[in-house]
Amino acid sequence: MCEPRLVVGWNTDAGRLGARVTEYLIERLGGEDFCEIEPTEFYPLVGVSVEDDVAQFPEGRFYCCAEKNLVVFKGDAPSFGWYGYLDAMLDVGEACHVRELYTIGGMVFPGAHTVPRELLAVSNCAQLKETLGGYHLSRGGDYVTPSGRRPTINSYLLWVAKRRNLPGLNVWVPIPFYLLGVEDPRAERRVLHFLNEKLDLGVDLRDVEEDTRRQYQAIAEMRTRFPDIDDSIRRLETNLTLTEEQSQRLVEEIERYLKQERR
Amino acid sequence: MSLRLYKEPDLGEVEMVASWPGMGNVGVIAVDTLRGQVHAEELGEIEPYDLFFPRKAVIKAGILEELEFPVNKFYYRKLGDKGLILFLAEEQPAAAGRMYAEGAKGYQMANMVLDVAARFGCRRVYTSGAAIASSHHLQRPRVWAATSALGLNKEVRRYENTVLMSEIEGLEEQGNITGLNGLLLGLAKKRGLESICLMGEIPDYLSRAPFPYPRAAKSVLEVLSRLLGIEVDYDPLDRMAERIDEVVETLYDSLPPEVLERIEQRRTSLEGKGSGITDDDASWIREHVDDLFKKGHGSDERSS
Repeated sequence: MCEPRLVVGWNTDAGRLGARVTEYLIERLGGEDFCEIEPTEFYPLVGVSVEDDVAQFPEGRFYCCAEKNLVVFKGDAPSFGWYGYLDAMLDVGEACHVRELYTIGGMVFPGAHTVPRELLAVSNCAQLKETLGGYHLSRGGDYVTPSGRRPTINSYLLWVAKRRNLPGLNVWVPIPFYLLGVEDPRAERRVLHFLNEKLDLGVDLRDVEEDTRRQYQAIAEMRTRFPDIDDSIRRLETNLTLTEEQSQRLVEEIERYLKQERR
Repeated sequence: MSLRLYKEPDLGEVEMVASWPGMGNVGVIAVDTLRGQVHAEELGEIEPYDLFFPRKAVIKAGILEELEFPVNKFYYRKLGDKGLILFLAEEQPAAAGRMYAEGAKGYQMANMVLDVAARFGCRRVYTSGAAIASSHHLQRPRVWAATSALGLNKEVRRYENTVLMSEIEGLEEQGNITGLNGLLLGLAKKRGLESICLMGEIPDYLSRAPFPYPRAAKSVLEVLSRLLGIEVDYDPLDRMAERIDEVVETLYDSLPPEVLERIEQRRTSLEGKGSGITDDDASWIREHVDDLFKKGHGSDERSS
C-alpha cells in the first residue's frame, strides 16, 4: 500500500456504529487482518463476559484492504493504559506509512429517527478541515467537555495523532436513543457514504440503503399498531420531550419489535 | 511516563507530604491548605499521559485545540534550615469508573513520588487521606495512623487526637489502606524510607457523600503541623467546615427515622464510652445511607 488512510471503529461505540461500519468495510473490501494489539497491558482480564452465550474477549485488530489503499482498525477501548494503547495503534499506522486517520463515533440523539441528522466532523489540523468542503458535514462547531463528563476515546486518539503530526478526523453521527440497543442503518449509511466519497472506495451501498428502508418500514408498521409509540415518536418529531417512563417504554418496545422482526 | 522538575533547589533537611483525591477529599484539602499558607512554589510535575484519561476536550471551529489532563505537581518551601516538599495530585491513576489507584499504574506513580523524595534526600514522607469510622459528624474526627516501621508508631502515639490503626475498635491488628495512600506507605517501607499515613475520620454514613469533609482535613492538618513544626491558621478550614456542616445537617435531618435512631444510639454509646453498636448495625446504617448517594454521580464516557 502507498500511504494508506486508517479508519478506526470501537466495539463499545454508541449503537455499535464504529464496529458496524468497520465490519462492513472489512467484509466488503476483503480486509485481511495483519496485526493486533496484545491485551495484557490494557484490560483487567479477570475472566470473560458472555453475550448471547458467546464469550467476549478484548480485541484490537488491524485489517489491510490493499486494493483500496486502506487500513481498518476495529477494537475494544482499553480499560487503562490509554495513551500507550493509542500510541501503539499509531505506531502501526506509522509502520504502514498511514497519511490520514479517520475515526467513527455515534452520539446519543434525543430526537426521532425521521428527523434530518447532521454528520459532524472534528479535525486535528486546519489543512484536513479545508479538504472537507462538499461532503455535507458540519465542521465548524465549538465544544468543551461538560463538567463531570470525560472526552471520548476518539478525541484522545485524535489528540495523540496531532502530537505525531498525523492529520486526523473524527466523524460523529447522532443516533436516536431508542436505536442504541439495536442498530441504526441510516447512521451507518451516512458515514459509509462520506468515507466512500472521501476515500474513493467505490463501495456499492445499496444493501445498507435497503436495510435503512426496511427499518423505517418496520418502525412505521409498529407506529400503526401501537398508538402510544406513534405518539411518542410524533412528540419527538415536533421537538417535544418525553417523560422518563415514555422514553423507557419507547426504547423497550422498539428494541423488542426490531429484534423480533430480524428473526 | 516522565518526571519533570522545573528546578533543583538545595532544601537542606527535607520532609515530604503527598496527597491525592479520595473520600471527602480530606488529604487534598489538608495539603492544599498547607501549600497556600507556607506559600510553596512549584517544583515539578509528573507527566500525566501514561497514567490518566483526559478530563476535558476543547474544540474550536471544528478543530481539536487541546485535551486537558489531571495535574500532578510537586511544590517546595524552605522554612529556616528545613525544606518541605508537597505533592498534590488531581486524580489517582485508576481504571475507568474507579477512584483508587491499583496495579501497575498506581505502583509507577507511587514510585515516582518516592523518586523525588529520594532525589532531595527526604527524611520522611507523609501521606494523608480519610478513614471510614463509626463516628458522628458532631464529634471531632480522630486521626488514624499507620507507619512504615514499628519505631515510628511510638512517635505517632504522642500526638493528641491520634490513634494507631490497631487501636481502632473492631480493626485490631488488621487493617487496609486503599489506593495510593497504601501503595506509597508500602513502597516507602520497601525502599527504606520513613513514612506515616494520617487518615481523618469520616462518619460511615457520610463516606459516599459527594462533598468534601473539611472537619477531617483539619484534624489531619493539626497533626501534620505539629509533626512538621509549622504554624497553621485554621480559619479557612473552619469556614469551609461551617458551610459543609449546614449541608450535612440538612442531609442528616432527611435520613429515615430508623437510621437516625441507630446513629444517635451509637453516638450516645460512644460518648458514654460504652460498647457502641454491633458491626451488623454499622453495616445496616451504611447500606441504608448509601442508597441516598447512589443517584446523581457524574457519568464517565471513558469507554466510548
